[in-house]
Amino acid sequence: MKAILFVFPFVLAVAYFPISQCQNLPLIEQTCKQTPYYGLCVTSLKSDPRSKTAGDVQAIALIMVDIIKAKAGGSLQHIEKLKQKYPALRVPLSACKDRFNAIIIGDVPQAVEALTKGDPKFAVDAANDAALEADSCERGFSGKSPITQMNKLNHDISIITASVVKMML
Amino acid sequence: MLSWQRTAFHFQPQKNWMNDPNGPVFYKGWYHLFYQYNPNGAIWGDIVWGHAVSKDLIHWYHLPLAMVADQWYDIMGVWTGSATILSDGKLMMLYTGSTNESVQVQNLAYPADPSDPLLIKWVKYPGNPVLVPPPGIGAKDFRDPTTAWLTSEGKWRIAIGSRINRTGITFVYDTKDFINYELLRGVLHGVPNTGMWECVDFYPVSTTGEHGLDTSHNGPGVKHVVKASMDDDRHDYYAIGTYHEKNVTWVPDNPEIDVGIGIRYDYGLFYASKTFYDQNKKRRVLWGWIGESDSEIADVKKGWASLQGIPRTVALDTKTGSNLLQWPVEEVDSLRLTSKEFEKIELKPGSVMPLDVGSATQLDIVAEFELDKAALEKTAESNVEFSCSSSEGSAERGALGPFGLLVLADDSLSEQTPVYFYIAKGKDGSLKTYFCTDQSRSSEANDVNKSKYGSFVPVLEGEKFSMRVLVDHSIVEGFAQGGRTTITSRVYPTKAIYGAARVFLFNNATGASVTSSLKAWQMNSAFIRPYPDDDDERHSGTEPTHEVRGSKTKYLGNLLTSSLLFLNARNNFL
Repeated sequence: MKAILFVFPFVLAVAYFPISQCQNLPLIEQTCKQTPYYGLCVTSLKSDPRSKTAGDVQAIALIMVDIIKAKAGGSLQHIEKLKQKYPALRVPLSACKDRFNAIIIGDVPQAVEALTKGDPKFAVDAANDAALEADSCERGFSGKSPITQMNKLNHDISIITASVVKMML
Repeated sequence: MLSWQRTAFHFQPQKNWMNDPNGPVFYKGWYHLFYQYNPNGAIWGDIVWGHAVSKDLIHWYHLPLAMVADQWYDIMGVWTGSATILSDGKLMMLYTGSTNESVQVQNLAYPADPSDPLLIKWVKYPGNPVLVPPPGIGAKDFRDPTTAWLTSEGKWRIAIGSRINRTGITFVYDTKDFINYELLRGVLHGVPNTGMWECVDFYPVSTTGEHGLDTSHNGPGVKHVVKASMDDDRHDYYAIGTYHEKNVTWVPDNPEIDVGIGIRYDYGLFYASKTFYDQNKKRRVLWGWIGESDSEIADVKKGWASLQGIPRTVALDTKTGSNLLQWPVEEVDSLRLTSKEFEKIELKPGSVMPLDVGSATQLDIVAEFELDKAALEKTAESNVEFSCSSSEGSAERGALGPFGLLVLADDSLSEQTPVYFYIAKGKDGSLKTYFCTDQSRSSEANDVNKSKYGSFVPVLEGEKFSMRVLVDHSIVEGFAQGGRTTITSRVYPTKAIYGAARVFLFNNATGASVTSSLKAWQMNSAFIRPYPDDDDERHSGTEPTHEVRGSKTKYLGNLLTSSLLFLNARNNFL
């Protein structure tokens, strides 16, 4: 009995303190504070297990680029489904498909290349462009978009990525 | 629409991505341009050195890639570098390599066959790298070595940009052989809060004449320019000052407009620029990378991205003493075809006048403007500081501006790119002139850059307002007051293309009439194309006169000779 009473505070201590280190919160929070969408930045990074062991801003940036890629890929799939559901929106949806393709085959590879090979400004350009592509997709619907939330998400995570990379310049 | 965007007389590879100009040099009768190139796509990546040659800086021939990423010390990128011609005529190339661990190092390369005027093949010094980041400097903060200049002690000196925290700096090294280097104490110069300095350039300018000076030149009647590309804000800045060789420092004439916080080469898209001394025509020539300002989707579709700006001579403005003058090289004039001249056209306030110049997508326009003196004196003073970029563009009407040209415009003016002057009257009654380019209505596309560019331009007593504008499809370059202020823009009209493009004169001022005289030339294509595969003239160094599809054996024979010469050259350098 006494043993449990003795051990319990230590259990609590272990439970409370190292959690922040396990989740790498200081780096994530410090980085996200400097982006325009703090909440989205934190939740996006936390949803990726790699963020727990990311050692520096570059690692965070690479995770964000991966998130752009994943979200763009998911968006493409969603767009295909919508083409069936809303045949009247075929034209703007096709334009959106091209936009998200450009993100995946252009912006993402350029960002990864720039970050890993050591000239991060090109990753800023790529991330900014990804935001622009999402914006352009949305504008193609002239106000009647069925994917506004999706486009905003893509836009915002791209902007977050650009501001994270800017910290490396 | 996208295919229209390719330029006719600006340097660009046949396809894919390009960025920084590298190692420009005049050697054995040819101008050489190397450049950062991605052989695999229209985005930045897999960077190697592209290569082209020209007899006149305008008509270029594409050559095979000069250097690829085939060594551990440049496997992550064969990045920017500069050429130095030694006193005995030998050519040395220093460039930055990104190593297998993404560390930025400096490497030496030289021609495999120095007698080949086309400098097709290059050798990398087997002992590379010759320089690694100094202690305390970030592995990714050390790049873009300059052309070397000779010191009075007979050593070669180079500069390399870097940073310490947020202070941009440039290191200086001395070398006798381009293999062993001595890092000189301190830095040549640094400016706080400017961030990393890329593509540093350092060169002398004459205070007494407009001719260029060899990079090693020093003495009376000389000032030195320090230039750097700011990684943070993607602009190229320069400052004029005094170089002290002995204590290896450079002091700006005016610290308030120091490097990174003062004057820019160009107020539009213009980055990673580099000069070289052209000993052929005794001038200093400036190259600048002009990126795209459209969206990636367009670059992917069209299969290419980026241009080099039109090469410019650069010299000190001896009238002001405090800025440089840049002007398209004179060989650009050789592209001029038919012209139309307009004398003293009066433009009342709020007027737009079409100019019948014929085709309007490849133009060289030289225009002068005068305002009536009474209007200039009558105008009320204002204490609002004007800025091209925060203004409403050419739609913002002031008493004495805007007025200028509308290029790449369509008949209905639904698309237009104004290049114009705006004169503001300051608190003390003095006039301050601004030169701007307004992209806000340049295209109906909504995914292209629509910002306004520009800056203040000095206009001296007795001078008319003058501009030269080069239009070449998707690039517009404006030069004001003989090149005191320049603006490069990329524009992507959807309607004002091919035969539908027009040029207009306009005066949107409220309080003054403007009188303009101008001349507009149709510009020919430069027919930039690959160097012919098989040509007798190739090794004699003369320009190909016609394209010949000849036998491959001659080419292979030359290749064999080159390889043997390469082996000899290697032995000579080791």
